Amino acid sequence: MTKSGEVHPIRPGVDTSYEAPRRLAAILAADIAGYSRLMTLDEEGTHARVKRYRRELVEPAIIEHHGRLIKTTGDGFLAMFDSPVEAVRCAIVIQQSMVGRNAALPRDQWMQFRIGVNLGDVIVEPDDIYGDGVNIAARLEGIAKPGDVFISGGIYEQIKNKLVCGYQLLGNRKVKNITEPISVYRVLPDHATLVRARSGRTLAIILGVSALASVAIAPAAWYFASQQKQSAAPPEQAPASKLDSAAAPQTVSPSKPEAPSPALPGTPQVAVIPPASPSALQPVVEPEMVTLLGGKFAMGSNNDPSERPIHQVDIKPFALSKFPITVRQWKQCVAANACAGGVTGDDDDAPVTNVSWSDAQQFTEWLSQVTQKQYRLPSEAEWEYAARAGASTKYWWGDQLQPGMVNCNGCNEAYDAMKPTKVGSFKPNAFGLYDMGGGVDQWVSDCWHRNYQGAPVDGSPWLGADCSSHVLRSGSWRSDPNYVRPSSRNYYDTNARNQTLGFRVAQSL
Amino acid sequence: MDVGRIAFLAAVLALLPTAGHAQGKKPGKNVHLYIISPADGATVKSPVTVVFGLRGMGITHAGDEFPNSGHHHLLIDVSTALSLTEAMPHNKNYIHYAAGQTEGQIDLPPGKHTLQLVLSDSKHYSFNPPIVSKQVTITVK
Repeated sequence: MTKSGEVHPIRPGVDTSYEAPRRLAAILAADIAGYSRLMTLDEEGTHARVKRYRRELVEPAIIEHHGRLIKTTGDGFLAMFDSPVEAVRCAIVIQQSMVGRNAALPRDQWMQFRIGVNLGDVIVEPDDIYGDGVNIAARLEGIAKPGDVFISGGIYEQIKNKLVCGYQLLGNRKVKNITEPISVYRVLPDHATLVRARSGRTLAIILGVSALASVAIAPAAWYFASQQKQSAAPPEQAPASKLDSAAAPQTVSPSKPEAPSPALPGTPQVAVIPPASPSALQPVVEPEMVTLLGGKFAMGSNNDPSERPIHQVDIKPFALSKFPITVRQWKQCVAANACAGGVTGDDDDAPVTNVSWSDAQQFTEWLSQVTQKQYRLPSEAEWEYAARAGASTKYWWGDQLQPGMVNCNGCNEAYDAMKPTKVGSFKPNAFGLYDMGGGVDQWVSDCWHRNYQGAPVDGSPWLGADCSSHVLRSGSWRSDPNYVRPSSRNYYDTNARNQTLGFRVAQSL
Repeated sequence: MDVGRIAFLAAVLALLPTAGHAQGKKPGKNVHLYIISPADGATVKSPVTVVFGLRGMGITHAGDEFPNSGHHHLLIDVSTALSLTEAMPHNKNYIHYAAGQTEGQIDLPPGKHTLQLVLSDSKHYSFNPPIVSKQVTITVK
């Protein structure tokens, strides 16, 4: 018998390492978003790129941060670090280096990593590591957006005062096969470094091509290139158009905000964006956004089992597009080769329809890229908060149907069975948002869950579980009045298109 | 036929669907659409798993234009006639299985309910003549 704590080889002369000791480690899991799509486009080229990035970028970054590459998979890798700070620095360096490499490529050839970092007790084998700590890192990677680094609460506690970054709490998430919910943070390099980075516009590009840029400034470049939030200056309003003035889109030039923009509403912007150049320095007509202050509200209703239980949700400040995304806005993305399909009908001021959730997601990524602002789909909670605009009634205007409020089948309005009305044809709600009900079904970022049992209460999107369907809000022009209530929920297959499906975009503030 | 003419014909054919989706496509021959389970008259618990059966045609993801194929829609407590000129509605009574699913799980309140399957083309329009299953009636405990 050996006393506990004694290191004792089972057989003399045999290396003890095969006893698979446990140890605490920071685990980094990464994979390439959309790898199978890239492989379909160009199998050999993609494979060669992955190998090159691994050799030129991933492996040196891991070594420089005193980590160990445990294994590689077709589209990803697993690495282990002694220090959480080094692990997250390594993740940031990899992400910002990829931004630089993608900048020269057309959107459909971008390669973006999703990275998860977790601190956990793991079993270390000579050629692999095991345990919940590894699984959680992999789950974090799975829910991270392309280009993002998601970290667990354990990592956050270790690095929050050591690594100069912003950390966005995404709430407690339940992840597959892990019993306890884990707190998830998204890493955002800090605002001060952003300001410094802005003073030199080419900094991001210089950093981008130098794969192993100094860690101290890497977060700045990454932030500049991919994470930029809304600028401090209020967006400029475009000249009033001949259209409904409320629908006048704001026009910005992403790279030269001080230069007057040649874009005029009504002029197709599609022609000026060269295809295959996602970072083209051309003006784009941005959706007009309404800033919402957030706060607590009661989400759900007792009208339908899917809307129960009614629960308090605390919404953080965010901005939501005043209208659903229009055919005109969608066409710009199509012309930039960044969006496919979708458009039916020739009315540029109609909401875009026939878009799948994945189509909508592509649009937000393209818009974020060309504007250097972080656009996304709203969460389901944000959508309902915005639709209610402070009301707890059946409809946002009260408990009874009224004329002039909503475009639906049976809502006291003239109704065209074949298409929705132009955006902004009806009254806005108390927040100044149009078409929050009827018109087009609107995708939100949440995966479908059949009711609110276990739903997050911090306004974050509810992901996880089976995400083959995503949530739809608003009801459409074809819906009956029951579906245009602000609490009504529906769903559709994530990758399927349908003539009534549209969306609007949001921004975190 | 020379290559140019073939290319022209191909171009014209490729443009056809964008010029206007042909509604009321002809289905295949000897097609049989049916609900495998639950059986007609069955008493079941919610959520109810409904298994779809199809013979003579294929199931594809909505949007994929393969010949002689479509995707399922489950009609719950629907008694109105099917439109051949409008796309299938989607709401709590018309569930789309646009990813090409061959079964679905639905929440139903206690009581009697009817279930019926309708196959549609890639753009959610019914075939003409429509491909529909026999309507089954079930009781949810």
